[in-house]
Amino acid sequence: MKRLITLSVLAGTTCLGLAAMTSNAAASGPTCDGGVIQLGGVSSVTGPVVFAEVPDAAKATFDQINANGGINGCKIEYTIADDKADPQVAAQAARDLIDNKGVVAMVGAGSLLECAVNAGTYADNNVMAVQGLGVDAACFASPSVSPVNVGPFTLTTAMLQFADTQLKDEKLCAFFYIAGGTAEAYTNAIKRWEQISGKTIHVLDLTLPVQGDLTAYALKARDAGCDAVLTNQVEPQIVQWINTVDAQKLEGIDWLFLAPGYSEGVASAPATSQQPIYVGTEWEPYTEASDANKDWAAAMDAAGMKKTAFTQGGYLAATIMADVIKSIDGPVTRESVTAKLKEGIEMPYSIIGSAYKFGDAPSHASMQATKVMQLKSGAWTLNTPEWVILP
Amino acid sequence: MPHASTRAALSTAISIAVVAALIYFLLPKYWVYIITPVFIVGVTLQSLGLVTGRTGMISLAQMSFAGVGAWVTGYLNVAQFPGGLIVWMIIGGLAAVPVGIAIGLPALRLRGINLAIVTLGFAAAFDSVLGTITYPGQTAFIKVAQPAWFKGDYGYFTLVVLVYITIAVALEYISRSRLGASWLAVRHSERAAAALGVSVPKAKLSAFALSAFIAGVSGGLLAGYLGTLVADNFNMMQSLALFAVATMAGAHLTQGAIIGGVLITLFPELLRRLNLPQDVGSVFFALGAVQALSTGETIGETWARLFRKVVPRRKGADLTGAAKGLAPATKHATGIALEVKDVTVRYGNVVALDDVNLTVPAGKVVGLIGPNGAGKSTMVDAITGFFPSYKGSVLLNGTALEGKSATARALLGIRRTWQTTRIAAELTVGEYIRLAAGPISHTELTAVLDWIGCPGPDTPIASVDAGTRRLLDVAGVVAARPPVILLDEPAAGQSYAEAIRLGARIAEIPEKFGSAVLLIEHDMDLVRRACSSIAVFDFGRVIASGPPQLVLALPVVQKAYMGIEPEGAVA
Amino acid sequence: MNSLLTPAVAGLSAGGAYAILGVCAIFTYRLVAVVNFTGAAIGAAGTFVMVALTEHGMPLFPAVIIGILAGALVGVMIGGVMTKWFSGASATTKAAVTAALLVGIIALGLRLTGGQRPHLFPDLVSGSAFRFAGVEVTWGSLLTVTLAVGLTIASDLFLARTRTGLQMRALSERPMAAELIGIRVRVLALAVWGIMGAVTAFAMMIIAPLRSPDFMSLSLLVVPALAAALIGAFRSFRAALLGGVLIGIVEGMVSALEFGARFRGVVPFLVILIVLLWSQRGARWDAAR
Repeated sequence: MKRLITLSVLAGTTCLGLAAMTSNAAASGPTCDGGVIQLGGVSSVTGPVVFAEVPDAAKATFDQINANGGINGCKIEYTIADDKADPQVAAQAARDLIDNKGVVAMVGAGSLLECAVNAGTYADNNVMAVQGLGVDAACFASPSVSPVNVGPFTLTTAMLQFADTQLKDEKLCAFFYIAGGTAEAYTNAIKRWEQISGKTIHVLDLTLPVQGDLTAYALKARDAGCDAVLTNQVEPQIVQWINTVDAQKLEGIDWLFLAPGYSEGVASAPATSQQPIYVGTEWEPYTEASDANKDWAAAMDAAGMKKTAFTQGGYLAATIMADVIKSIDGPVTRESVTAKLKEGIEMPYSIIGSAYKFGDAPSHASMQATKVMQLKSGAWTLNTPEWVILP
Repeated sequence: MPHASTRAALSTAISIAVVAALIYFLLPKYWVYIITPVFIVGVTLQSLGLVTGRTGMISLAQMSFAGVGAWVTGYLNVAQFPGGLIVWMIIGGLAAVPVGIAIGLPALRLRGINLAIVTLGFAAAFDSVLGTITYPGQTAFIKVAQPAWFKGDYGYFTLVVLVYITIAVALEYISRSRLGASWLAVRHSERAAAALGVSVPKAKLSAFALSAFIAGVSGGLLAGYLGTLVADNFNMMQSLALFAVATMAGAHLTQGAIIGGVLITLFPELLRRLNLPQDVGSVFFALGAVQALSTGETIGETWARLFRKVVPRRKGADLTGAAKGLAPATKHATGIALEVKDVTVRYGNVVALDDVNLTVPAGKVVGLIGPNGAGKSTMVDAITGFFPSYKGSVLLNGTALEGKSATARALLGIRRTWQTTRIAAELTVGEYIRLAAGPISHTELTAVLDWIGCPGPDTPIASVDAGTRRLLDVAGVVAARPPVILLDEPAAGQSYAEAIRLGARIAEIPEKFGSAVLLIEHDMDLVRRACSSIAVFDFGRVIASGPPQLVLALPVVQKAYMGIEPEGAVA
Repeated sequence: MNSLLTPAVAGLSAGGAYAILGVCAIFTYRLVAVVNFTGAAIGAAGTFVMVALTEHGMPLFPAVIIGILAGALVGVMIGGVMTKWFSGASATTKAAVTAALLVGIIALGLRLTGGQRPHLFPDLVSGSAFRFAGVEVTWGSLLTVTLAVGLTIASDLFLARTRTGLQMRALSERPMAAELIGIRVRVLALAVWGIMGAVTAFAMMIIAPLRSPDFMSLSLLVVPALAAALIGAFRSFRAALLGGVLIGIVEGMVSALEFGARFRGVVPFLVILIVLLWSQRGARWDAAR
């Protein structure tokens, strides 16, 4: 085991050496030393919040590419590292991938806090991360990370825009649970909507508790006369929120949630609720059997994986990375992948509403489009057939 | 004594340095990076060991202190405060001190599990605040800069080890000082500590302050290690796990802290190597901790015990010579040293002391006898300030002591012993005497021990038998050379021969040390031998007083005392 | 005034929940001398068993019964660990053991229940009883508060009036002596753990629909519960009842505060601290030793 690691580290170093020597030589298509390209990602596979499906889908996608002969003959070895949502474990896992596995890029990760912890490390080591599911604010504000999802902040702006322009709600309210580093990001998202719409938010509360009773907050929304209420909660808290507003018999308020709400769990848990519930999606809605979803659905079926939103992120990130590598002429190294990503070529896919782009920028948020789903008697139905694209 | 602490400190420093050098020179970059937090966590564990292990106050908010240090370090980094990381983390540690003291304040009234829950509540509350504050520099990607001399994985490892050694050595010194002994004494018994003149609030707050400082420094170290931090680094669950590890590994010992650091830090790496999900670690942690705790001994203690088996601890030499080097008796004021005037104490409706008057002249030994429950110990408690209120007045050399705390009275010069010995077993004989007596020369220390017949100063109390501990109680109070000493049944549990010998020693106290003595005792031989006058108590009242032979012959005394206590009649 | 009354009433149901768990914590502490960090996690385990059964189509009533039994079983298992290896250990060691167990149980629970994946928590009692100060007071929260009061009275009576209660007090104060006068210590202690597991499981089932229904959140209810127990100084059931309700109400009220929003989370802590420092103002010295 240990020898193997040493070998692969050695292989990595040789690869670097070769890159320096042969970078000028004309070659067509990507080449790799030993026939293997190392990729990896630090994800929350276990712990309080689990995003295991994201890297699993990325791995399945790479496995299918390998089964079809790899990229120009190169097989992809994809390592999933678990961070248990523990920052120190996340930091160590990243170093393990960079130092020991010698990955050329990070791809397809989904983690509660990985960007915040590791974005600096990635920048220092010139490793770029194509995040499968960016969650924390740093994912959307780093030179070294560009997620393939819209993310909670852009989605906040988009959902407010949706409530304003399509639901024609007057008084928009927002209640946020603030995890470290997200206060500015959410406030900025609200400001951005205020600039786009020229209106102001009616109530902005940044103190929603993760654990705790929500009755007082639901009543606050009612007493303030909100027409639409947006929260950034995740699945269990959304269920709790809907249960609470039902218990308090609130009526006439549109409830808006971000992408975490778009799941079977949320659809089935408050099955009896008659509340108007809307969620924004990160990609083409996974519950729709549309053309846009065809490739992804085929890949998931082939891998025998359940079709969930998270798997779209992993699949998309892996596909983007594979396409980036395909476009490299010469050896696939950390330098060549990073250089290719930093070229900032726009990469359109049918599963996303705006083209993916990495590029050499201090921050990355290329995903600016969402489709809104509405919960109707325990099933998600498409509310906006067209993408809601932010200007 | 300074020799012993220097020796211990040196051996600690050298052994850590050797281990660190092996790691530095033999392991690749990645492993050095992985091992660095062993020592960072080790520093945090030491801070917890200080407050929980040594002083006996359970703190479940240790990561919150670390969080304060880490955040302050971050702010100073962003502000480009001069001095670099080392200065920043010291300032971070200092910033954690007020927080530590604030959490220490409830500890003056709350103990044990109540205090533990308060600290847990603080950790939860702190979570909710820290969770909303972005780590300084995170959004602008300003990583906490490592000092120029200690850059990179190897360099930073060196810095962390140096900080660890500095703190371990400092703690080694402090733990052998009077301050360190006072923590152990407070943990063992607050009353006994106060009776030694130790200020319990000061001991508790200093422990919390120092602990918070060290935890704050560890936060700063973590900031330099990871560059940027998130609130989850310091959440309540981390504090809880840290507490479990500290209890299991014995974090008040240097080796225990490192073992704990290894457990916390290297387990995730092991799981990575085995390709196991990280939550398995939590389950293993729970099982392992339960197993380790069920052995009733911390891992650190086990290692120390095994180590001592290989390298036997040098036993303190027994003292045999005559009382050489004892300084001449201290000159205290003459006249009435201690006067008790009309003192009344009530427990609810029960009158424990009823208008008691008693005087102890300077340079004399006065006996206080009476049946069990007559109020003798209550009297001692009243004189030494362990009752919040009583009627009447207690005067030391003519000065009233009302309104003075037990600690203040002890410092003014009223010292006492207890019916059952209350010496913390973790101390050595010498440390205890220094704790009791304050600054005292080595010659004087050995002379006092020699005079009363105690083993040498390096002997651990744990290896001293119960009878000798009673002698040590007496040695402690006389070494302080106060004007007044109250001895509460010093001969209880002693053999006849020992009691006779002790009686002779007590009789010598005024001559050798200059103190007046109030002796409470059932052993009549001892009382006759030691006392120049006695007072007899019954039902909270003085029923007779005067020279021993006369008083003991009084019928009222015979009836009240001898009639009830058969051993007394034999005497 | 009404602007504070509304959130205060809203916090009542949470307060009832804290009170129930707080009373259970005191019960455990007084009878088996353990500060139990796993209290809420035991209840959560029972509740999730119930949810798993209803999700597989079992009718509510038998599922609740099996869930309660499962809670009792988990309680007995943890009790088994505590009585087998730690009956003579110090309070610190016991606290460390339950803290370590909590870490493990949460990891296991998250794994078995699928992390934050929400589950369908059936309402044992549904609908709202009445409306007060603009708040719908649900039967669920009424039941929670009633259960808290009932449990408090029952615990008080049990310990003060019944023979078993007296035996159990003897057990916690002097396990050795209790053994000598013929009390089967281990069996009684396990019974306490089992009863506490059953009660918390049932309480959790009522509380859960209005809380974040994931294993970790429910397990961490132990923090406010212990805070409530603390207000009762781990002795008085009645004070813990009041303490739990007080914490719930204060939590509700601070959510209405507009100033210092960032520091709202600290307010309940400060309330506990003030209550404690006042109630313990006479505790100048540690227990005589």
